[in-house]
Amino acid sequence: MQLDFVNRELTIKLVYYGPALSGKTTNLQALHKAAEPGASGRLMTLETKDDRTLFFDLLPLTFRNQGSLAVRLKVFTVPGQVIHASTRRLVVQGADGIAFIADSRTAETQHNTDSFMDLRENLKQHGLTLRQMPLIIQFNKRDMPDVRSDAEIADLASKGREPVYLAVATRGVGVVESMIGLLHLTWSALDAEHDLNKKFGFDSKAFLAQVAQKLGNPKPIPEILKACVGGALDVLRPEAG
Amino acid sequence: MLPPAAAKTFDELTLGHGVSLEDLIDRDALGEMVKSFYDLFGVPLRIFSEDGKLLGDSADQLPLYALLNSAKGGRVALAEVAGKVKNISLGDDGMASYPCPTGEHYRVAAIQYDGKLIGRMILGPFVHPAQVEPPAALLALDAELDSARLRELFRAMPRAEDDSVVKLARHLGRTLDLLLFSGHRALLTSNMHLASVRESFRELEDKNDKLQTAFDRLKELDRLKSNFLATVSHELRTPLTSIIGYSEMLVEGLAGEMTGEQREFVQTIRDKGEQLLQLIKGLLDLSKLESGTMSLRKTQTEILGILRDVAQTMTPTARKKEVELVVDVENGLPLIWADSERLRQVFLNLTENAIKFTPAQGKVTLSARMTAIEAARPEDAGGVVILSARRTAIEFRVSDTGIGIPELERGRVFDAFYQVDSSSTREAGGTGLGLSIVRRLIDGHDGTVRITDNTPKGTVFVVTIPVKRATIS
Repeated sequence: MQLDFVNRELTIKLVYYGPALSGKTTNLQALHKAAEPGASGRLMTLETKDDRTLFFDLLPLTFRNQGSLAVRLKVFTVPGQVIHASTRRLVVQGADGIAFIADSRTAETQHNTDSFMDLRENLKQHGLTLRQMPLIIQFNKRDMPDVRSDAEIADLASKGREPVYLAVATRGVGVVESMIGLLHLTWSALDAEHDLNKKFGFDSKAFLAQVAQKLGNPKPIPEILKACVGGALDVLRPEAG
Repeated sequence: MLPPAAAKTFDELTLGHGVSLEDLIDRDALGEMVKSFYDLFGVPLRIFSEDGKLLGDSADQLPLYALLNSAKGGRVALAEVAGKVKNISLGDDGMASYPCPTGEHYRVAAIQYDGKLIGRMILGPFVHPAQVEPPAALLALDAELDSARLRELFRAMPRAEDDSVVKLARHLGRTLDLLLFSGHRALLTSNMHLASVRESFRELEDKNDKLQTAFDRLKELDRLKSNFLATVSHELRTPLTSIIGYSEMLVEGLAGEMTGEQREFVQTIRDKGEQLLQLIKGLLDLSKLESGTMSLRKTQTEILGILRDVAQTMTPTARKKEVELVVDVENGLPLIWADSERLRQVFLNLTENAIKFTPAQGKVTLSARMTAIEAARPEDAGGVVILSARRTAIEFRVSDTGIGIPELERGRVFDAFYQVDSSSTREAGGTGLGLSIVRRLIDGHDGTVRITDNTPKGTVFVVTIPVKRATIS
C-alpha cells in the first residue's frame, strides 16, 4: 500500500497468483473488459510471443470521489511457469492482497498444490505468512470437462479460512465477484492496520459498491459477497503469525 | 548512460509515483515528433516536463518575436507572456487558453499518464485567421519598433482557430499516451529482466553459501573421524597385544599343561585376537593414509620378487579353495620407484580378495607388463602438446574367474567399509577396509587402480604405477 497524503490518494497492490495456464491473465482481461472506460487504464501485458506471461500483467483501476480519498488499484499477475520463480518473488513483494487462481481440472490438482506451496515459500522469503495475507482462492475453468465437483470444492472450502470462488474467466463468470471478495478482505485488513475509514472519512461499503458498479455488477455488496462458496469473509484483522 | 528510471524500484515504476516523462520517452525522438507536428499543422509546439524542463521545441524564434526581443518594451511583454503561459492553471478537462493582449493565443494541455500529470504541452502562439491587423497593444509596446514591420510580421504569424488547436492538442495527447505506454512497457520489461537476473543470482549465492557451510562442516567431521580412528585403534591395539601374547604363552604351555579342550579354547581366543588385530591395523593404516601421516619408504623395487612372494604366501589359501594361482610377468621389466612392503600389501590384499570370490576350479592370475601413461590428464586441455609426455609405467593385473563386480559398484568398492553384498548372510567375510587402503596406497605411488571385466567371467583389478618418480608436480 502506498499512501500519498498530499494528493490524498491510496494505491493498493493486488496480485493474482497461481499455476501456469490457470487463467490469471484471463481474469485481468475480463476485469478490463468489464470495467467502465474511466475506471480502468490500459492492460499492460509483458508476454512472450506464445502468449505466456513473461514478467507480469498490470491492470490499473482508479476510483475517485469516494469520501476524500482516491483509491488506485494495481492488479498484477505473476508468470505461472515454474522457471520464473524469481520473477514471481519480485512481483508478489509488497502485495496487499492475493487472489490464488486454481485450475479446476482434476489433472491439475498437483500443479495447484505446487504453486500454492511456492506462494507460501515466496511470502516466507519476504517475512510473511499466508495467515497474514488477505487471500481468496478462485477455482477457474468450471466449464471444462473432468473438473473437481462443486460439492467437493464446497466441502473443502467449508473447512478452510480463505473465501473460495468458482469462475469461468473466459466468459467473465465469477471474475468480478472474486475481485470484490479480495478487495473486501484487503480493505478490512488495511483499515484494521491503518484506520483508513476513520482517518479519511472513508465509507468502505460505498466504495465496494462503487467498484462493483464500475466493474459492471450493480448488485448490492452483501449479495455479491455471497458468491463465495466457503471460507470466511468476515475476517477483520488477519491473525498474525 | 542509464536512464534515470533504471535506478528506480519495481514499486516506484509500477505503483505510479516514480515515473516521469523523461523516463518513458526518448528526448531526441520527442523533439523530432514536435518538429514534424509543426511542419504538418503550422502551430508551434513546446513540451515541458512536470518540473518545467523543456523537452521539445518545434521551431526557432518567430520573426515577430525576434523583432519584439530587439526592444525593451517587447522583451518585457514577451517575458510576461512566457511566465503566464508556463504557469497557467489547467481546468478539469486538463486544458487552458491564454489570449495575449498583443493578439496571439496560446493553448496549454496536460500530459497525463496513468491518471497523473507528468508534463504539459504548449501550442502557440497562433493568431485567429480573421485577425489580419495587429491590436493597438502590440503597436504600442515600444516606440522604437517600426509599426509597418510589426504589421507585416503579425500577418506572417501562424494562423489557426482555437477549436482546431484544441482538437490537435487532444490528438497529440492520445498519441503521446500511446508512446508513453509503450515506453513504460519497455522500461518495465528491461527492469524486470535485470531484477529477475539479480534475484536468481542472489538465490544461487544463497544456495552456494549453504552448500559451502555444509561442505566445511562435513570436512571438519571427516577430520574428526580420522583422528578418532587413529586414537581408538591405537588404544585398542595395546591391550589386544597382551591378550594375544598371553594366549600364545598359554597354548605353548608356559603356564602349565592344558587339556585338549582348554588348548582349543585358548587357541580360538588367540585366532580371534589376531583377526581383531588385523582389523585394527587396517583402521590405523586407513586413518594414517587419510590424515596423510603415513610415510612411504620408496626405493628402486623389483616387481617379480614381490609378486612371487605374494603368490607364495597365498598358495595355501588357494589350494584350500581349489583355486589355481598363476604368476605371469613379462621379461625385462625395470625396477620401479615404490615402497616394496606397501606394494606387497596391495597385491596380497587383491589376491586374497580374488581367491575369496572365486569358486573351486577357478583361476587367479597375477601379471605385470610394461605400458605407458599420459602424464597430464585429458581434462587439462591447455598445453597438451607440451604436457602430455608419456611416462613408462608397469601395469599389474589381478584377474579372477569369480562372481564379478557389477558395473555400478565398481566406483564404490574403494570406499571404506563398503561391501558389494552388505547383507548379514553374505558368504565372504572382511571388514570392507582392504580396497580402501589399496587405493590410497596406490595413490601414494602416483598410480591408478580400476576394475574391468574378465571374459568370460570374473573381475580384473588393473593397477598402473609409473616407473620413475614424477618430475612434473
